[in-house]
Amino acid sequence: MKRLRRSCARVLLGALLLTGGARAATLTVFAASSLTDAFTEIGREFDRRSGNRTTFQFAGSQTLRAQLEGGARADVYASANDAQFTPLVGKIVTARQVFAGNTLSVIVPRGSARVKTLADLTRPGLRIVIAAPTVPVGEYTRRMLGAVDRAGTYGRDYSARFMKNVVSEEPSVRQVALKVQLGEADAAVVYSSDVTPALKRAVQVVALPSRFNMPAAYPVGVTVGARSGPEARAFVAFLLSADGQRTLRRWGFRPAP
Amino acid sequence: MTAFLLLPTLALLARGLNASFLPTLLSPAVTDTLRVSLWTTGLSALLTVGLVTPVAFLLARFDFRGKAVLETLLDLPVVLPPVVAGLGLLLTFGRQGLLGAPLELAGLNLAFTPAAVVMAQLFTSAPFYLRAARAGFSSVDRDAEQAARVDGASGAQVFRLITWPLAFPFLLEGLVLAWARALGEFGATILFAGSLQGRTRTVTLAVYAALESDLGPALVLSAVMVCVAFTVLLVVRSLAARRG
Repeated sequence: MKRLRRSCARVLLGALLLTGGARAATLTVFAASSLTDAFTEIGREFDRRSGNRTTFQFAGSQTLRAQLEGGARADVYASANDAQFTPLVGKIVTARQVFAGNTLSVIVPRGSARVKTLADLTRPGLRIVIAAPTVPVGEYTRRMLGAVDRAGTYGRDYSARFMKNVVSEEPSVRQVALKVQLGEADAAVVYSSDVTPALKRAVQVVALPSRFNMPAAYPVGVTVGARSGPEARAFVAFLLSADGQRTLRRWGFRPAP
Repeated sequence: MTAFLLLPTLALLARGLNASFLPTLLSPAVTDTLRVSLWTTGLSALLTVGLVTPVAFLLARFDFRGKAVLETLLDLPVVLPPVVAGLGLLLTFGRQGLLGAPLELAGLNLAFTPAAVVMAQLFTSAPFYLRAARAGFSSVDRDAEQAARVDGASGAQVFRLITWPLAFPFLLEGLVLAWARALGEFGATILFAGSLQGRTRTVTLAVYAALESDLGPALVLSAVMVCVAFTVLLVVRSLAARRG
C-alpha cells in the first residue's frame, strides 16, 4: 500500500514536471487556414524555446471570427484580411498588428492544356473553384477580377464571364486548393503561399500580372479575454521577430505591406 | 436531460421565428436553396424507391453465399462519416476518379453539378430505405402470397396486390427517414458537389455559409429545418403506430 502510494506520488510529480508546472502555459491560436503550414512550424519553434504548449485552430478567417463572436476562447487571432479582423478590435481583440503579406496565384492541374493564360479562364465549359465572398481569399479574388475589368485588357465583362465558369464557392482557401489538387477543377484562385511543396507536385501556376494582383495583409492580435496574456503577446512578438519572419518567408509569405 | 434535449430546438425557433422571418424566407438567397434542396431530395427519393426496392425484395426473399457480407456493405454508408462518403464519391465519379475517364468520354462531368448533389444524397440516405424495405418484405405473410398464387394470381399480381400493400407502411417509413437524411446531408455534398447558390447550395450548406456573414438567413433556415424535422418524425411515428 505504502509502495503504491509512493509510486503514485512519483507519477504525479513526473506529470507536473512534464507540463512544466506553473510556468508553462497552454496557448490557443485561431489562424486563417492559409497559415496552416507556416504557423504549425512557428508554433513548434515557439514551444521549444518557451516551454509553452500552443494549439492551433485553422479555418477560414470568417469562420474563426464567427466563433470568436459566438464566445469561443482563444488567446490569439490571426486573420487573412481586415474585413474579418477590424470589426473585432476593441471588443474581442485588443489591438491590430500586421505581420505578413501575400499575393494571389491562379493554379491549374499540372500539365493542364486548357488554361495557359488569364484569357483562357473565361473559355466556356471550364470549371473554376474560388472561395466564398466572406472568405478573405474570396474577397481578394473579386477585387482582382474588378481590376481586370477596369483595365479592359480582356474586355470589360471579364469578371462576368469568369464567374459563369465558377462551379463552387468554398469555405476556406485550402478547400479551394484541394479541388485543383484532386484534378476536379480546371483552375482556382489561391494565395501564392498555398502553392506549398506538397501542392506543387499536383499543380502549376498561371502567370498573374502584378498590376492585377491584390496584396493581402494579415493582421494579428491578442484577445481581450486571453487566459495566457503574456504568452500570447510573446507569440505575437515571435511572429514579428526575424526568426518568425524567416519562417513565414520560407512558406511563401511576403513582408507586411 | 429533457431540458438539454429541448432547449437548443426552442432557442432555434425563438431566434428564427422573428419579425423578419417572412421577408427573409422570400429572399432569393433562401428561396434558391429551398428550391435546390426540394428538387434534389425529391429526385433522390424517387431514385431510392425505383432502384432500391427490387434490391430490398431480393435480399428479403433469397439466400445466397456471402449475403451477410453484402448486406453489411450496403449498410456501410449509414455509419460512414459523410465527408468520407464524399471523398469516396469523388474518387469514384470525379474527373480523376475510378470511372472518371469513361464518364468523360460519355460527356458526363458529375462533380460540382446538381447531379452530384443527388448522388451524395442517394449514397448516404438510400441505406435507410433499404433497411426498412427489407424488413417490410420479410414481414409479409408468405401464406397470403401462397394462397393468392393457388387462386391463380401471376407473380406480378401477387406482388402488386399482396406483397406491396402489406409492406407499404415499412416502405413509406423508410422513405420518409431516407428523405430527411438526404435533406440534412452536408459533408458528402460540400466535398463532391461544392457550394454554389441556385445550383448546388442546399439548405444545410446555406446555413453553414450564412453563419459566416449574415446570420438572418441561417436562423430562418434553421427554424424551417426544425419544423420539417418535427413533421417528418411525427409522420414516421404515426406510420409505425398504424403498422402496429
